[in-house]
Amino acid sequence: MNRWSVLLLVVLVGSAAYLVRTSYESRRLFVQLERERARTTELAVEDERLQIERRAQATHLRVERLARERLSMRSANAAVTQYVNVPPPAASGVQP
Amino acid sequence: MTWWPASGAARKAGARPAPRSQRAARGGAASSVQYATSPLLAAKTPLWRSKVTVAALGLAFGVLAGRAVYVQAIGTEFFIKQGESRYARTLELPASRGRIVDRNGMILAASVPAPSVWVQPKEFKATPEQAAELARLLDMSQPELARRLRGNPNFVWLRRKVSDDVAQQIKALKLKGVGMESEYRRHYPEGEAAAQVVGFTNIEELGQEGIELAFQSQLKGHTGSRSVVRDRLGNPVEDIGDTVAPQDGRDIALSIDSKIQFFAYQRVRDAVAEHNAKAGSVVVLDVQTGEVLALANYPSYTPGERRALGGGQVRNRALTDTFEPGSTMKPFVVAQALQTGRVRPDTKIDTAPGRITITGATITDAHPHGTLTVEEVVQKSSNVGTVKMAMQMEPREMWELFSGVGFGQKPQLPFPGLASGRLRPYKSWRPIEQATMSYGYGLSTSLFQLARAYTMFARDGELIPSSLIKVTAVPQGARVFSPEVARAVRHMLNMAAGKGGTAPKAQAIGYSVGGKTGTAHKQEGGSYASHKYRSWFVGMAPIGQPRIVVAVMVDEPSNGRYYGGDVAAPVFSQVVENTLRTMQVPPDLEVAPQVVARNQAAPAEEESF
Repeated sequence: MNRWSVLLLVVLVGSAAYLVRTSYESRRLFVQLERERARTTELAVEDERLQIERRAQATHLRVERLARERLSMRSANAAVTQYVNVPPPAASGVQP
Repeated sequence: MTWWPASGAARKAGARPAPRSQRAARGGAASSVQYATSPLLAAKTPLWRSKVTVAALGLAFGVLAGRAVYVQAIGTEFFIKQGESRYARTLELPASRGRIVDRNGMILAASVPAPSVWVQPKEFKATPEQAAELARLLDMSQPELARRLRGNPNFVWLRRKVSDDVAQQIKALKLKGVGMESEYRRHYPEGEAAAQVVGFTNIEELGQEGIELAFQSQLKGHTGSRSVVRDRLGNPVEDIGDTVAPQDGRDIALSIDSKIQFFAYQRVRDAVAEHNAKAGSVVVLDVQTGEVLALANYPSYTPGERRALGGGQVRNRALTDTFEPGSTMKPFVVAQALQTGRVRPDTKIDTAPGRITITGATITDAHPHGTLTVEEVVQKSSNVGTVKMAMQMEPREMWELFSGVGFGQKPQLPFPGLASGRLRPYKSWRPIEQATMSYGYGLSTSLFQLARAYTMFARDGELIPSSLIKVTAVPQGARVFSPEVARAVRHMLNMAAGKGGTAPKAQAIGYSVGGKTGTAHKQEGGSYASHKYRSWFVGMAPIGQPRIVVAVMVDEPSNGRYYGGDVAAPVFSQVVENTLRTMQVPPDLEVAPQVVARNQAAPAEEESF
């Protein structure tokens, strides 16, 4: 009887220590997860911001001005365009 | 009833017979408690005292038990809540507002995080240098900052929605009492070109104008929440309870093509500047799907900077402003006359001597034309010829025609502040009113309604609902005229935009066009202002199988030229060329254009209005 009590006591203490360790571990992992989650949001936000910035840099107003002023381009019209009839892709494989 | 000093002594004493005196003392202890065996130490305590003590202890125990029952069973919820409030926190999970994109997915409006900076003045501590730095970062003077700090001691906004890097720098200052609240700011990359379509939101991200207002409920995000256990430092260490995931607002894909929109805006802006006009609008509609490709207005505004904003810049004139459509109504009357078999395209109508009198009022042409065919009536925009056709109709017939193509009715668009225009019930029409209405006076319409009505001719007599949202399936249309009549009218419109018509400048390089000009004196008060005009042009291209309908309106051109053919038609021509090229529609004309508009090869026919 006494021996059983000692054995159970040892098991109990062991289990308690394991519980402490597990809950510590779980909190530690939770904090880590939390940090990664925050990073996900941060990156998503950054992505959105950069997309908008890229869009702002590529507005038609800006593109047109740069093309005209820096690259000395002119906008095409039908008078200076040669229209070519491209055969559909399926047919192009058969033709030599 | 033995107390331990006594019992210990009694056990020892139990080994031998107790002395007599002791026995006597015990016998007499019926009403007192004895604490010692030695009679010398005997102190008589009355029995009631111990009873009182026991009762008091019992009562105290009872109170504790009662309290325990109360805490554990009756008031449990309250105590659990109190406990949780000391370690649990509910965090708000922000959701962002949906984007507005154009038909190709280009962003027209999107939200980016922009933290707002607040301060608790009673907690605020900063060295003068830090305060100076803070004021610099917040873009305000130091006295201004000091004035703000003297406000409410508990909470003051320092600056709403600062940019992300400014927020980082303020955070780096680590000032006590200064905090940030995460908020979003709306960005409009397309700026003024699409400002009136997209609209804007207020500082709370509530839509105030345009699509932002019309689609507020869909665009709006729903914030989520989660409950966590926080440690001493305030970091979450455990999830408790349910997490409500945030729901971002829905993205709205418009039918607008930002490229066409921008080009249309640029052209109408240039035209307004060139003609020293007050305002201008352009509407571009896709004939095949009924989608709105562009809806540009000038003057406009930059959605990010709205400090000095008047209603004139904010409203979408093409949708909210109505005017008398003038000559642009003539093709509808002619089409009705053709449809009912009253005339044929080559029927001759005598318009000499250039005026007609109806119940005492005289209607005149700009100059007399003599005998014209029905086609030429449209081409040369003869009032007299149109009136002669219209007077053969019943008022009810004309009213049904006009309302059938959408005049006097609010367009079915999800947009705030749409104008329905004015079309009086036919019962109250007097003959002279019926006559003036046939050439577009006495009723009013918005530029958008006019453009939509013209899609009917472009679709071979069928009218389909128009849409500001990208459509996936072409909606069912309603037939108004037969395809033959629509084609005949298109031919007349083509003539009107060619040699001998009112708008040779509408010619586009590579594409055949057709359209009708309009010019009108502006109404001021009850009468027409003699030197204020409005010019417009509605047309379609390519005329054989139209792809787009373009309507251009310029308000108060005051640089000498004011005819629709001079002011609005060149804008139409440029917008058509550019739009069709963008849509990759092959040119249907030989590259050398029929009319070189810039050299004014063909003199414009003066239209009647």
